[in-house]
Amino acid sequence: MMSATMTLPEGFADLAELAARWARPTENARSAIRWTASAEDFAALHAAMMPRLDAVLARLEGCPLDGMDSAETRLFCLAAAFAEAAPHHELYGGSAEVPHSFSARRFVPGHGDTPSWSTALR
Amino acid sequence: MNDLGSTGLRPGAEALSHLGRSVEAIRAELGIDPVSVEAIRDPAIYALEREKIFRRAWLKVATAWEIPAIGDYKVKELPVADASVLIVRGKDDRIRAFHNVCTHRGNKVVPTSDFETFGRARANVVTCRFHGWVFGTDGPLRSVPLEGSFGTLDKACLGLREIACESWEGFVFINFADPPEQSLREYLGDFATLFGGYPYAEATTAFRYSTVLECNWKVALYAFSEGYHVPTIHAGSLPGFRGIEHADFKLIGPHASSTIYGLGMEAAESTARFAGLFHAGTDHGPRPDLLPPGINPTGRSDFQFELPNIFPNLLIHLASGCGYPGMAYFTHQFWPLDHGRTLWEGINYFRPARNAAERVAQLHVNALHRNAWLEDTATMEDTFTGIRSGAIDEMQLMDQEFLIRHAARTLDSYLAA
Ligand code: FES
Ligand SMILES: [Fe+2]
Repeated sequence: MMSATMTLPEGFADLAELAARWARPTENARSAIRWTASAEDFAALHAAMMPRLDAVLARLEGCPLDGMDSAETRLFCLAAAFAEAAPHHELYGGSAEVPHSFSARRFVPGHGDTPSWSTALR
Repeated sequence: MNDLGSTGLRPGAEALSHLGRSVEAIRAELGIDPVSVEAIRDPAIYALEREKIFRRAWLKVATAWEIPAIGDYKVKELPVADASVLIVRGKDDRIRAFHNVCTHRGNKVVPTSDFETFGRARANVVTCRFHGWVFGTDGPLRSVPLEGSFGTLDKACLGLREIACESWEGFVFINFADPPEQSLREYLGDFATLFGGYPYAEATTAFRYSTVLECNWKVALYAFSEGYHVPTIHAGSLPGFRGIEHADFKLIGPHASSTIYGLGMEAAESTARFAGLFHAGTDHGPRPDLLPPGINPTGRSDFQFELPNIFPNLLIHLASGCGYPGMAYFTHQFWPLDHGRTLWEGINYFRPARNAAERVAQLHVNALHRNAWLEDTATMEDTFTGIRSGAIDEMQLMDQEFLIRHAARTLDSYLAA
């Protein structure tokens, strides 16, 4: 069970370590990881994911949101974490906080505990 | 720019040309004097606002797609009106609003866990947990345990207390006045035409955020009502928006609107890739053709989004994929909890992702915009503290802050009525 849910689709095994660190199903779980990440963490994620992004997105383009197997779901969760973390490297100088911002911890996402692949976000 | 009467207009745009105002016309109509901060500072004015605005104006409380199936309901807590409101889709598919108050002794019929609570009524009834009174989702009292023990009970008069509820383009509004002075359509007036016809109901994927701000509700509303702050406050998350143009000013009775043009974001590497995913197709790509004709009437290619102010507390920023990649529109609401406390709600709306990659791209754009909102909200509590200190008695407002000037005037006229 554990090993099955930790698996990535074929051809993406190189991202396994990143997935263990970053891949989480919900915005709240990913935010908790992001808030404690360092500039080095963001840089490492970006360096590893950016060159693989085309392949990752091409793979996920073939996946309906409500029909992913566990490996595809894990790849999705990693891509989601990258999607949300990339600005911290690209725009915020590696800071876990958005510079000069309100506390992100005070923002309540209505969908925060809903798996991000849900088709019922409304 | 504001000369909507010129040639080269999109078909249908002339019909709304009377809303357009040049900067000179705005100055002439609304003045250029500083505006008093007393309405923000004075708790006595807040007490008046509760009576004269929030119990009188139409208030958006839901969307039709939040409660898509028969029996679906939403409960909205509105401390500004001391009310808990049940918005529910009846067996006849009609959306109605009721006080979420049991007519037996006043308990909440639907228990709530937060400012908003969603659920589905089984068998088209809701049951008060206190003593088990059962109400139809269309209002009537259906059954009462041990009814005979009441002696006499006129069940026909003991249905849920209904609140006026009307919809425009799938946005559900209520009005606490009984009866309201105007229909919703009359209240929205030309705004309903200006913003009408866009397929809002097709962009049903919503990412919603809320927070409680320690500030007066108008501080939060005003901070989101101008484009003047974009190059400074958003230098971090929107580096490409430096060259924005805030134009096409429109006055629409108690409402107003304007347009943000510009070259969009200087996209970061990842953003460019995610945006490419959207721009590949017509589903999520820029769709300026879907904008109602009074918005971007000359069809400028650098249209970003329309920035209105719908009195008293609603903003619908209509982008049609032209601003933030893939985003159809986003809304803000500002609900007073008290004179100095505000519930802010921001919602990003996208068309449904057709696959997992599109959803990832939506998560990216959503995060960028959420982060911009974190920049916006950073100013609000400090602004309120500053105003309360008494150090300033007025706000200095420039042309691009006309929505604030207009909203403050509308507020005054409601309070004077
Ligand atoms: S208060 Fe609701 S049944 Fe008694
Ligand atoms: Fe802003």
